[in-house]
Order: sequence, then structure tokens, then C-alpha cells
Amino acid sequence: MQTKLQSIKSGGMLTGVLKWAGAIAVPIAVFAVFLLCQGVNPIETYANMITSTFGNSYGRGEVIIKSAPFILIAAATCLSSKAGLVNVGGEGQFALGALFSTAAAMFLVKDAPAVIGIAVMALAGIAGGMIWGGIAVGLKVKANMNETITTVILNYIAYELVSFMVYGPLKDPDSFNWPQTPEISEQLQLPSIVSGVNAGIIIAVIFAVAVWYVTKKTRWGYKLKVIGSNPLAAVHAGYNVGKTQVIAMLISGGMSGLAGMLEIAGVEMRLRQTTGSNYGYLGFLAAWMAWNNPLAAIITAFIMGFLFISGNVLEMSSGLPSSTVRILMSIVLLAILWKGKGDKK
Amino acid sequence: MKKKLKKLMITGLAAVLALSVASCGTTETATETASETESNEQTTIGFIFVGAKDDYGYNQAAYQGSVAIENEFGDQVKILRSENVPETSEATRVLEQMIQQGATILFPTSYGHLDPAIEAANNNPDCVFFHQGGLKNTDNVGTYFGTIWQAYYLAGMAAGGVTETNQLGFVASFPISQVLANINAFELGAKAVNPDVTTTVIFTGSWSDPAAQTTSATTLIDGGADVIAQHQDSTKTVIELCESRGVKSVGYHIDASELAPEGWVTAAIWNWDDLFVDMARTAIEGNFDGSIYDGMYRGGLAEGIVDLAEFGQCVPEDLQAEILEAKQAIIDGTLNPFAGEIKDQAGNVKVEAGQILTVDEVEAIDYLVEGVIGSME
Repeated sequence: MQTKLQSIKSGGMLTGVLKWAGAIAVPIAVFAVFLLCQGVNPIETYANMITSTFGNSYGRGEVIIKSAPFILIAAATCLSSKAGLVNVGGEGQFALGALFSTAAAMFLVKDAPAVIGIAVMALAGIAGGMIWGGIAVGLKVKANMNETITTVILNYIAYELVSFMVYGPLKDPDSFNWPQTPEISEQLQLPSIVSGVNAGIIIAVIFAVAVWYVTKKTRWGYKLKVIGSNPLAAVHAGYNVGKTQVIAMLISGGMSGLAGMLEIAGVEMRLRQTTGSNYGYLGFLAAWMAWNNPLAAIITAFIMGFLFISGNVLEMSSGLPSSTVRILMSIVLLAILWKGKGDKK
Repeated sequence: MKKKLKKLMITGLAAVLALSVASCGTTETATETASETESNEQTTIGFIFVGAKDDYGYNQAAYQGSVAIENEFGDQVKILRSENVPETSEATRVLEQMIQQGATILFPTSYGHLDPAIEAANNNPDCVFFHQGGLKNTDNVGTYFGTIWQAYYLAGMAAGGVTETNQLGFVASFPISQVLANINAFELGAKAVNPDVTTTVIFTGSWSDPAAQTTSATTLIDGGADVIAQHQDSTKTVIELCESRGVKSVGYHIDASELAPEGWVTAAIWNWDDLFVDMARTAIEGNFDGSIYDGMYRGGLAEGIVDLAEFGQCVPEDLQAEILEAKQAIIDGTLNPFAGEIKDQAGNVKVEAGQILTVDEVEAIDYLVEGVIGSME
């Protein structure tokens, strides 16, 4: 038994390469068969997906823009998971961040200079996400309610709250009753660094690396790990489990809230009911595909961004309905999840 | 060893990511020339839909219009389609992707695609955009729509004639003018044949949310409504629910009578085929500027853009005849659904006796008429 286990583990380089190759090749092959059955040339379709996405600056820019919120939410999910919290609330925390930062842009810093205005928007976004994460972790610590359930429920409440606001107090008076806020002032919109890409991606990657550093290299990170893997032992070791979980969740929520602010200030420029719809869930998936390793989550989030963008090309060039894109996405996700499982320590 | 490999992989992929950021803005020219040479032989036309192309509704009607273009021009055109495109900057992106794929004529077909389309249009001044239902336009964005409230008025007559409880229900989407006009016309038509009839409206806040459609229709039926109309993109859920509950239903966008053999009344429907073909021809021939489509084009029953679907078996023959007479009167211009006097819910006179609302005025309606129960909030 012992030797068998070891031999699998030390299969090393070759197994690793094979696994990666498999995780990439299997979904591509499976989906190719599906495309063939639909009478579509898979090679042509794949080539078109890649060239039209990476073959021009617009496509590359869009993949990066799309990946940024996924990375940030994934990193947030990784952090809270280290503390033993399954935070499915990235969706709602993102929405609250978007809502708070839009409200700040409309009422607090409408005419403020860029530096102050954007900073205030960011703080408002972080606060929004923190409040939503804080409610969930508060209910966990004080009322022993399962955070997986509460965060999901809070996602729905967040959606309704955003709907209420864009129908009511935040509605654009010039929108002919269409539920959306006015566009935020020009100086508050994040400038494009290169071909439409704003600073969001840099911020997202910095946060992902920071989460990795904090959880791996600091004492607080070690504390998180102990709490996450064995809360009972943590209590016996004299750790304040509740307090640490609250802090982890607040930071996590704040990061998702910041992602919401970046989406408003950098991409959408205004809040709508459907702004960032499903980003939270995709970010969560990216984190779990990477087995909550924030650095690996950068890659999984990037893969998701690519599938998201190239999916439309697949639909356009193959003429297949949009739901087929989701089939491809699911197969790839499953394969990477399976690959990640083998790597889990 | 393995850990090392993994790190290597991650670094490698991160490098790819970094490189793609760095290389943005370098290879633009290659794709541009490619699409230009292609456009000499074939025009690429892009369609984006907010829902699915087989939704028994709005998107299916628009999809059929895109098929009509395909049939008319054959190999001269290449059609790109994308379904389920959200009404956010996502729509701008998909339109841009279509332009990257060579599209020069674009049809953003949902109401909320307007602002994203204008953004894409400003970035691509050589492309022509036809937006469905928009209330503003730019140099290269024209909007088109139909005066569908005319057909809704006729559908209202049918509903008002067949109701037994004198209570009609309406599952609406957003409280925007095009929706309010339909609700109002429906109630006004119903009242024309049945002065005691009321219409209770519920707004779902979505074009196509089956859960909200189900709860709204159920609430209306439980409240006593026995004919349910709707302004939703996908009409299937509500019609099937009504059929199973044994109440009658009025469809929208396309003839969905096959879904409700018992309770089908009629529907206000689109016929985009000829219009889409004509708009496409105008743009392909380079005649968009200064054409009737370079602005806000509106057509109605007279132009054949909107129509009334076949009647269901529950509509008596004499009522059918009365409705068809009214239809002819609208076509001839002797009848207008929005002729005064019309009061709003609070009883204020909104249209004076003798006054007739213009198309522009109807598209700016921001109230519900007397006899409609429910709030826009």
C-alpha cells in the first residue's frame, strides 16, 4: 500500500505532463466529436476561436478585461476558504460593491477630481462587499448559520436590492424608464492603459499574489490554515476562531466588492440589473478548480475569460445555439477540476 | 519535481497572459485588410438576440427576419448570429467581435442593446447599425420598430369580448413606453367592446424569466383574471400555464396557437421579413445615409409590419368580424387606438377629446390608462 502510493506520487514529471495534456486534450476531443455530430468542422471552429480571440488586440484585450473580476473574486474565495469558510457570496458581494461605488459616484464624488473620486468609489465598493460578507460571517459566528447557505441567499437579496435601486433612487432620468443608472462622470472612468484594458487586471493579479503570500508566508496565514483544517485544534491552541474568520470574510467580501467597483469604473460605467451577472459564481468556480490556490486561480480564471469571449465566436462561426458554448465550458471545467484533484496535497 | 513542474506551468501561463497584454495594439492591420477583401464579394451581417432564437416570441420573430435576409440574398451575404447577449457592455463586445469577423451591417435586436450599440457604432463609423425599438439614433445607427399597439388594441377587443369575469391579466416586463403603450391599447380595445372590463398588470422586471412569469400569471389567474396577455420576450411559459389552468391567453410576437389549442385567443405579431430584407438591401447597396431607415423608422398594420394572428376557437364569428372591421379602419386611418378622450389611472385627462396621439407621442407614454389596475413601480 505504502509503496504503491509512493509510486503514484513519484510518477513525477511524466504523469504530470500527461495529466495536464489530458486535462486539455480530453475536453477538446470530446467537444470535437460533439461538433462533428452537429455537422460542424471542429478544426476550423477551434482555429477560428483562437485566432479571432488572440489574433487581434481587441480580442486579447477583452479576454484580459473579462478575466480581471474572475481573478479577484477567485482570490477572495481562496482566502475565505483557507479559514474554513465556503463563501459562495462573491456574486452578491460584487453586486453590493458595484451598487455602493455607483451610488458614491453619483452622489458623493460626482464632480471630484479623478484621484479622490476613484479612491472614494473604491472604498465604497470595498465597504459594500464587506457589509455583505460581514452579514454572512456574523450569522455564522453568532447564530451558527451555515455560510454556504447564507451567502447564496444574500446573492438573491443583492440582486433584488440592485433592481430596486436602478428602478428607483438611482434610475437615470434620461433612460425612458429603462432600469439603469446614469453613466458615471468621465473623470471617474478608469483610463485604458492599452487597447481598452484598464488597471483592473493589475490590481486583480496583485491581490491574488498578496493572498498567496499572506496565506503561505505569514503567521496569520498559518493561523488561518489551522482554523480551516481543524477548528477544534485551533480552539485548543488558543486561537480566536470566530474573530479570525470574521476578518478573513471581511477581506474576502471587500475584494469581491472591489471587483464590482472596477467593473463599474472600468467596463460598464453604469449599473444595470444584470451588471456582472454570474461573475461571482464563475470566480468561485475558478477558485475551486484551482483547489483554492490563488496563483493557480489566476490561470483558471484566465481560461474562463477565454472561454467566455471565444464562446461567442464559436456560436457565430458554427451557427450552433449559444447553449453549446456552455457545454464546452462545462467539459473543460470538469477536466481541470479532475486534474486539480490529483494535485491536491 | 512535480511541484517544480507546476510552478513552471503557472509561470509559463502567466507569461502568456503578460505577453498578450503587452502585444495589444500591434496586429490590428492584418485583420482589417482581411475583412476588407472579403467584403468585396460577400457582405457579412451580424444579429444579436437577448434571448434564444426559438423562444416562441420576440427573438424568434427577429430570427425569422434574419432567415428572410439569408433566403433573399443567398451567397451574397453571410449571417452571424449570437443569442442570449445581455443588455450590458457585453453587447458592445459581441458586436465588436462580429465586426472583427467581417460584419459591416449589424442588427442589435433588443431594446437594452441600444446604448451598447451606439458605443460600438461610434468605434466603427463605417458600419451600419439597425436597432430594434430604440428611441434615439446616431449617424450610423438607425432604429426601426412597429406600431404594435395597433394590433394590441385589436387583441384587446378579442379579450374583452371573450372574458366572463370582466377581468383581464397582463404579464408585463419593464415600465418603458413601448410596454405601457401595449398595455394601454389592450385595455382600450377591450373597453371598446366591453365597458366594464379591467386589466390587472404585473411587471416582472425581466424580458424572459420563467419563474417570474409563472408566479405573475398564477397571481393574476388566482385573482380572477380569465384572459392573460403579456409583454414578454418568450411567451411559451405563460401560454402553457394558462392552458393548463383552463384560462384563455393572448400571445405576442408570433403565432403560438399550437401551444394552446383550447384557450388561444389571438396575438399581436411581427412580420419583419420584408422590412429586414429591405433594410439589408439599402445598407448593402450603400444607400443607408438619407434613406428612410437613417433615423427612426416606424411601420404598422398598413405597412404589414405588425399584424393580428389567427383567432382561436373561443372567439365567436361576429366578434371576429367586428375586429377585422376595426383592423381595416386602422389601416384606412379612420380609427386610432389612442384617440381622445383618454384618462390615466388617477382620472386625469391625458388625451383630450378629438385629439389623436402621434407615433412619437405614443412612444413617450409614461402612464397607464383608466381601467388598468397595478402600479409601474
